[in-house]
Amino acid sequence: MTVTVDDHVTGQGDPAPAGEPRSVHRARWWRLLLRDPAATVAALVLLGVFLASTLGRVLIGDMDTEQNLRAVNTPPLHFENGWQFVLGSDALGRSVLARLIVAGGTTLSVAIPAVLISLVVGGAWGMWAGYHRGWRENVSMRIADIILSFPSLLLAVVVLYIFSPRVANIVLILSIARIPVYLRTARAESAELRSRLFVDAARTFGTKSGAIIVRHVTPVVAPTLLTVATLDFCFVMLSESSLSFLGIGIQAPDVSWGLMVAQGRQYLQSAWWTAVFPGLAIVITTVSATVLAAWFRLATDPAQRWRLALPRGRRGTRSALQEVHQ
Amino acid sequence: MPTFVRRRIVSSAIPLVVVVLGVFCLARLTGDPAKLYLPLSATPEMRTEFLARNGFDRPVLSQLLDYLGNVFTFDFGESLRTGQSAAGMALRAFPATLQLAGTTMLLAIVGAIVIGSWAAYRPNSVADRIASLLSMTAGSMPDFWFAIMGVLIFAVTLGWLPTSGVVGGPEVWVLPVITLLIRPFGVLVQVVRGSMVTALSAPYVKVARSKGASEPRVVFGHALRNAAPPVLTVAGDLTVGLVNGAVVVETIFGWPGIGKLMIDSILQRDFAVLQAAVLVTAVTIFALNILIDLCHALLDARVRQVVPA
Amino acid sequence: MRTSHCRTARPSPRSGIVCLVTLAGLVASGGCTVANSDSLTGGAKGALRIVLPQEPPTLEPCESSLTSTGVVVRSNVTEPLIERDPTSGALKPLLATEWKAGGPTTWTFKMREGVRFQDGTAFDADDVAFTIERAVGSKLGCNVDGYVFADSKLSVDVPDKSTLTVTTTEPDPILPLRLSFLEIVPTGTNTQAKVREPIGTGPYRIAKWDPGISLQLDRNDDYWGAKPSYPAVRYSWRAESTIRAAMITSGEADLATGLGPEDGAGDLAVPYANNETTALRMDGTEPPLNDIRVRQAVNYALDKQGIVQSLLLNLGQPAGQLVPPGVVGHDPAIRPWPYDPAKAKTLIAQARADGVPVDQQITLIGRNEQFPRVAEIVEAMQNALSEVGLNVKIKMLDTAAQLEYQLRPFVKGAGPVLLLIQHGNQAGDAAFTTSQYIASDGPQSWFGAPELDDMIDKAGQMTGAKRQQAFAGVLRYENDHVVEYAHLAHMRGLLGMSPNIRYQPNPATGDELRLADVRPAK
Repeated sequence: MTVTVDDHVTGQGDPAPAGEPRSVHRARWWRLLLRDPAATVAALVLLGVFLASTLGRVLIGDMDTEQNLRAVNTPPLHFENGWQFVLGSDALGRSVLARLIVAGGTTLSVAIPAVLISLVVGGAWGMWAGYHRGWRENVSMRIADIILSFPSLLLAVVVLYIFSPRVANIVLILSIARIPVYLRTARAESAELRSRLFVDAARTFGTKSGAIIVRHVTPVVAPTLLTVATLDFCFVMLSESSLSFLGIGIQAPDVSWGLMVAQGRQYLQSAWWTAVFPGLAIVITTVSATVLAAWFRLATDPAQRWRLALPRGRRGTRSALQEVHQ
Repeated sequence: MPTFVRRRIVSSAIPLVVVVLGVFCLARLTGDPAKLYLPLSATPEMRTEFLARNGFDRPVLSQLLDYLGNVFTFDFGESLRTGQSAAGMALRAFPATLQLAGTTMLLAIVGAIVIGSWAAYRPNSVADRIASLLSMTAGSMPDFWFAIMGVLIFAVTLGWLPTSGVVGGPEVWVLPVITLLIRPFGVLVQVVRGSMVTALSAPYVKVARSKGASEPRVVFGHALRNAAPPVLTVAGDLTVGLVNGAVVVETIFGWPGIGKLMIDSILQRDFAVLQAAVLVTAVTIFALNILIDLCHALLDARVRQVVPA
Repeated sequence: MRTSHCRTARPSPRSGIVCLVTLAGLVASGGCTVANSDSLTGGAKGALRIVLPQEPPTLEPCESSLTSTGVVVRSNVTEPLIERDPTSGALKPLLATEWKAGGPTTWTFKMREGVRFQDGTAFDADDVAFTIERAVGSKLGCNVDGYVFADSKLSVDVPDKSTLTVTTTEPDPILPLRLSFLEIVPTGTNTQAKVREPIGTGPYRIAKWDPGISLQLDRNDDYWGAKPSYPAVRYSWRAESTIRAAMITSGEADLATGLGPEDGAGDLAVPYANNETTALRMDGTEPPLNDIRVRQAVNYALDKQGIVQSLLLNLGQPAGQLVPPGVVGHDPAIRPWPYDPAKAKTLIAQARADGVPVDQQITLIGRNEQFPRVAEIVEAMQNALSEVGLNVKIKMLDTAAQLEYQLRPFVKGAGPVLLLIQHGNQAGDAAFTTSQYIASDGPQSWFGAPELDDMIDKAGQMTGAKRQQAFAGVLRYENDHVVEYAHLAHMRGLLGMSPNIRYQPNPATGDELRLADVRPAK
């Protein structure tokens, strides 16, 4: 599989951790978000996806598995069999809408944990390695090399056929494959911070290295890592979809957006809606996540936040949409 | 610089061995291939014979030591499936992948620099917003879906391009390269754009302009140079990903590359071929990583020479 | 940020960009040319272009019972002594001109005169003896050995250059049929290792094999029989069936095998009966499947007609037995089990009342890409079985992992298993099916019954109408008293055919695509 290590953001490591009181902070977040229409829309989309795959899941009951071999592949906007077929039905006569909702839940429950695990493990590891430098750094970077050049497909096959094709196992494979991305980013930033004045000062006062990493390195590295993580979200969803294409991803009767696209590819000419809607869901969700990540980056960067805080007219030339990669 | 390279090569040797060992052991976990390769009604004796002939009956450790011994004499074993030399199969498939990856990255980098710089030149303009949105959409497209749609539209409906294959003129390359290109391109446009926005607002750009440098020279000469490091990092990682094999594209377009060879040998439990293929890609990836580090060091060194800290 | 160093600096040389481009350039030039096979494009004007689902792993003739090898080799590169007409089932002379039984265990074959191998050597009975010895007696582990010759021991004798006698230990009335699977190679072919590019007597010889890309056969101008229409044939392979269909519609290929019902080839996709039958094999050794009522309930629960109509788009016919019409032993009187979920529920309730653990989780195992729509069919079955109250979980496997369940020795401790199988009877005689799938010790059978084993043994030694009746009896007994299978459908394949060619697909097309039968349309 192509485990492309992309979505990399080499961020700025501007120090100066912000020190405002929390409540002020929170109120300002909302204002900052509402000031940026693109980010607001993105946040609403993500909220919608999240609600649909949690609450919506409850509302639709088991419509997603109800088969009807007498009404397969009905096109969208045909309501003879009920409102749930507004997006058409699939090859087994199941409601595409209901399946999209359930699949969204599965996709999120694969992508979010996978991203979180690789973020926490890779980030902490990278900061530790970068802070200490020396052999720790070398060994860690070589381990990252190993993971990057290892065929994660083989890992997937072993896990799926020897153990069981559960969601947890797919999460595990995807998160291991993505750890090097965070490991490398965090290491680079942490290695640079090490020589900064405020870290030096802490060291001189005898602060333990663990505490320095937590108190001084993490706040600076975190925004970059979070941006990488949001972008990685997209990568993980697509990887999961590629696994389904190769038959080693989520297994029926479970369903994910990736699996829907993979199964629907046979029907692109006869029933396009079975593959196009889940594909759109992936694209819309990931674009929203990217836009929100860009906004988040601006909002958490004290050196850039003014761009959002300014009144609309005077804000000039910046908006979150363009701040995707800095 | 030579010491740096030497040290880097030495320190890459151990991970290489770990990858080979890991693949060897994991492959053994997928079960023995006797049923796949023996006749349907094979007798237990035939099975024992098959396992003995291929050494699968011995403890994994002793198989591993044997394998390592053979690797040092450049003997990677034979394919169970085709009876050919495993190393030969891997080396034959690799150029196809390398060519595809090289062409793709070349186009993606050049395209991303042009589009990304253009978008960054007037941040927040309509052009910029369109470029950003398109590149994000491109970056989040499932590749096999895009590939099949491309075939249906351009090969079947319009008849402009061949559906697939490797034999023929440049038109054969169009669909595979575009499918492979779309994600790296989308990501790189965003990286270039981000870096360029910062670089273009830097003081030295104003200095250059005030000195009367032409706009293309300012953008591509001054700003781009300073925006390069993050682009280098991301492009390097993307290239590594492509070298590891573009399974989906290779499967759909019948491209005889290393990714297709790997997935086939995994599914066919053809261990020798899998190991040889992984070794070939791992060596290349390590070499690429060293090259990328070297480029970074080069950039860094020049920067430091100019600005004595 | 690293770039911040540069802000006050005199701009450094443009090493970054140079590095990037060099890197990509290195990668690009590092690969030698893939597309240097001009000889293929230039050398094959007027060639027949065929696209297969996968590249043949080898062209070794003794592996020709593997579909991907056999479809290229059989009757094209190499030939057997006798060929079986795929439609009528009659045996026709090929390299043997006549044959007769010299007793219950002896057969005599007369060799065709004037036949030469593609390397110029003459063909005679010694080559046949050599081939039999190589495929059956050697340590090569040939697939044809296990499939066709099961456990029989053959002894071969060559009284003169044009005569061959074969003696079996047990009476074997279908020995000529078995020998029709053996592709003849010349004496001197490697007996220690399999050969990738064999020499045969067939109408085409292997011209050029570009591994991974294409395989070209050229017409054998010294062929003993009628000259085939195409001077050359070029095979390529694409794993995606939509792409194979697209190659037919866009005119890039003339023939495409293994298409699915909605791949988009439209009218250019020609359906044909392919002698494949799909069924669920039930593990009658594990509760709750060890209770015959539960196995019967599985049969009643499946809506075979619905599946065939909606999922296979009528590319198939509901089945009630493992062999399709046209195979010796098929009994038209055996009807598919009716779809009756109410009855299934009753049977399960009865079993539950008797203490059968019907709530035990049952694993339904399918194989990825086994046939078109397999994923959907497995989901439909799971749904149907859940609706009558069984607890069924799906597990889709790759070929190697699935074979662990399909072939003896089976996976231990797997719990109750329903295995979706697709059985293709290439030979046209139920003996091949029953010994594999129905006999209690069959390599692909979970269990059976002693009475059934006796019936199979007896049937195997009969001939003519009696043989037909005896095997029909075996199949009926299986359905009534053993119920190891829940049959699904006799399948039909789809062959993509460009308007430029004329070809009549037959039940063997998927396994043996005779190039000599393909002609230009005008």
